[in-house]
Amino acid sequence: MFLFLIRRLLLVIPALIGLTVLTFVLVRVVPSDPAATLAGENSSRKQIEEIRTKYGFDQPLHTQFFIYVGQVLTGDLGNSVFSNRPVSADVRRTLPATIELTFTALLFATMIGIPLGTMAAVRHNGLLDHAVRVVTVGGLAVASFWFAIMLQLFFSMELEWLPLRGRIGVNVGAPATVTGFFLIDSVIAGRWDQFVSALRHIALPALTLSLPALATIARFARAGVLDTLQRDFVHYETAIGYPRRRIIWVYVLRNSVIAAVTQIGLLFGALISSAVAVEAIFDWPGIGSYAVQAILAADYKAVLAVTLVIGVIYAAVNILVDLVHGLLDPRVAEQL
Amino acid sequence: MKRAKSIVATILAGLALSAVAPTQLTAQDKNTLVWGDTLPAGLDPHAIFDVPMQFILLNAYDTLYRYIGNPPDLQPWLARSHAVSEDGLTWLFKLNDGVKFHDGSPVTAADVVYSFRRLLAMKRGPAGAFLPVLKPDNITAPDPQTVRFVLDKPYAPFLAAIPLVAIVNQKQVEANIKDGDFGAAWLSGNDAGSGAYRIDPATYRPREALDLLRFKEHFKGWADSARPIDVVKARPVAETSTRVLALMRGEIDATDSYLPTDQVERVEKNPRTRVARDESMRVFIIRMNNKKPPFDNVNARKCFATAFNYEGFNQVILKGFVDRNPGPNPRNLWGNPPDLAGYKYDLAAAKSWCDKARAEGAKLDREVEIHIQSELEQTSQAAQMFQADLQKVGIKMKIVSSTWAQITSATGKPETSPDLWIHWVSTYFVDPENWIGQMYDSQFEGTWKASSYYSNAEVDQLLRKARSISDRGEREKLYQQATTKVVADSPDIWVYNTIQLRGLSKRVQGYKFSPVGGGGDLRYMSLSE
Repeated sequence: MFLFLIRRLLLVIPALIGLTVLTFVLVRVVPSDPAATLAGENSSRKQIEEIRTKYGFDQPLHTQFFIYVGQVLTGDLGNSVFSNRPVSADVRRTLPATIELTFTALLFATMIGIPLGTMAAVRHNGLLDHAVRVVTVGGLAVASFWFAIMLQLFFSMELEWLPLRGRIGVNVGAPATVTGFFLIDSVIAGRWDQFVSALRHIALPALTLSLPALATIARFARAGVLDTLQRDFVHYETAIGYPRRRIIWVYVLRNSVIAAVTQIGLLFGALISSAVAVEAIFDWPGIGSYAVQAILAADYKAVLAVTLVIGVIYAAVNILVDLVHGLLDPRVAEQL
Repeated sequence: MKRAKSIVATILAGLALSAVAPTQLTAQDKNTLVWGDTLPAGLDPHAIFDVPMQFILLNAYDTLYRYIGNPPDLQPWLARSHAVSEDGLTWLFKLNDGVKFHDGSPVTAADVVYSFRRLLAMKRGPAGAFLPVLKPDNITAPDPQTVRFVLDKPYAPFLAAIPLVAIVNQKQVEANIKDGDFGAAWLSGNDAGSGAYRIDPATYRPREALDLLRFKEHFKGWADSARPIDVVKARPVAETSTRVLALMRGEIDATDSYLPTDQVERVEKNPRTRVARDESMRVFIIRMNNKKPPFDNVNARKCFATAFNYEGFNQVILKGFVDRNPGPNPRNLWGNPPDLAGYKYDLAAAKSWCDKARAEGAKLDREVEIHIQSELEQTSQAAQMFQADLQKVGIKMKIVSSTWAQITSATGKPETSPDLWIHWVSTYFVDPENWIGQMYDSQFEGTWKASSYYSNAEVDQLLRKARSISDRGEREKLYQQATTKVVADSPDIWVYNTIQLRGLSKRVQGYKFSPVGGGGDLRYMSLSE
């Protein structure tokens, strides 16, 4: 297991180097001049050229790349060429918001998706199965921005239950930063009002983001349970008179969710990327919104940092999924 | 297992309880305004120069002179008066007494000198307006209340550009310089101003949240507002649909001032909200690259200019919430010829201009490209309408989605500059120099403003003369002549002057619009009960 972990960690290094090279080249070869953006809207050509020299944009691309990699290796993601702030501070501020949103969405999707898929499999071709099929196909087909606006119109405008936008109430204010996750920080601070406000604000964006994930998890859980239900041990356990509920929710489920768990891991990465649209609609101040602004402003250091950080998270989640695989299935653990 | 179940149950119960709890409709009290307009990327007024920065500049900082009202009137602000030498080179500004920065220290001429020198050294933001005519050593303070500028050459728009420069607290900024950065990293998240509102740095989350607190000791006093607002919470809303819903629901008190025209009726129907409509100085333009065939042919350019359906775009697509603008300067600015008619949509005339151009060898058969700013829907709407009409006169046009950063990078050279592209020219300073001066004097080639690469020696001469003399009457005549010539050469397609539309909560009183800052000046506002 330990050797497996080391091996996987070592494999991440070339992947991240590849990612950095690719992003750096992509960001710098697109026809977008950071010097022009930096100089401002009313700047002269001379002013732009002076900025280019001052910030080293006139140096060969490979020189700029090695300077950048050198900085990253020392833990310095550089300063935003646009706002002058350290990019790492921006990432520290925006990443927890996205992770909190993604994690909540995934938690919701898992808690609903696995039981839903299991029940659909148990009542194979029954009414519930058909209903779940409709939900899962719909969940994958519906555009998230449309679903988000519908939720806003219904829960915020019509029922006036939940806020439209933002991460916390204007008058409540953000909790003191400990983890960066408002739901946790508000509990640490002992502020129930902040916790409730954060919960109310995360509800709609998390629900929007969770829908395609819920559909995927439910489908995988259903397929897994259906497959396991045909196994001999299920017939045996049924024959010796084990309670049906115990067979399904303990033995069958444990043997069925491995595929779903793999999906959950992969979904975490996918959800971080698809959070961009959801963050924009709900004004969720996460790394997706930050990346969009960075791209529009040609703030290449910010774009690189976001790509690198998301790459690291993706790799970490994949390793974690493999480890969880091992825990769920001892046969896999032996191979690791 | 039981414990896990109880935790999950608690969370679910909390969510359910909080969901059904009555929502506070207006998130603000009568002394707190929630401002939903965009915030700039940082708070340093010498580093960033764009429309969102005007909000910080107007409220957290003061300038020597300031534009007030509509049409914008240039009034003494930190300065109580100014004098200019006969040759137009030496400018003296006398400062008001007893003005204080937010930290309580006095605003002196040394701070003004420092602010201008810092701007010139950083070479960013509004420095472009001063770099060609002003050297840092030529800004001095003969006494604590006087600032002297000696220009390299006469530059009539100098005074018009003065409100671009925020006066910062030298002592505070210098105390926070790191690695020779002019204190830029610190000032991007802090306050060193004397404006009517002070920034609360603890609340600042870039582009996400910023609280401004009323500076009761502001030197202008607070008589301009019926009941000054103590706290302003800037909470930008990125998405148009969310912004409108948030206003209607009372989560914010003001949207940005570019409310889409199809949302106006909706906002006005809501009993809680209204739309402030104010004619601005912001011209919508379709640029043509005059150095690239077929746009190097004047008849080809006229063909394009008469193939654009101005009436259809302004009246139907934009529902009449704009005013036709026939030339490069906003129609409500001085310097326009009184009888300027501009081009009209006439496909028969367009065909005839095209035929003339073809006869002269213009390559009208190649597919031309128009670059739009993909995040700005109007640019796409205009391009699609234009594309359909051009097809009727036998011209193929391809629409290319792009961004402001990409387009302005490409406009650096005529070879890389797009055939056509769409943008607005906003009010950076109120002088024809901001529009026709910087757009059509060939010395500015290479900047996005001069990206049509138009070159006419007569026009150059007129614009340069207008820039160098201070007599307003003389300047006006020169700009009128230049405008007539430019319009006759049809280097670009000027479409409309913007009417800025800002969704406001009806409880916001005293909203005062100016084309500079777009109505973001908070000192005049109050909130009704």
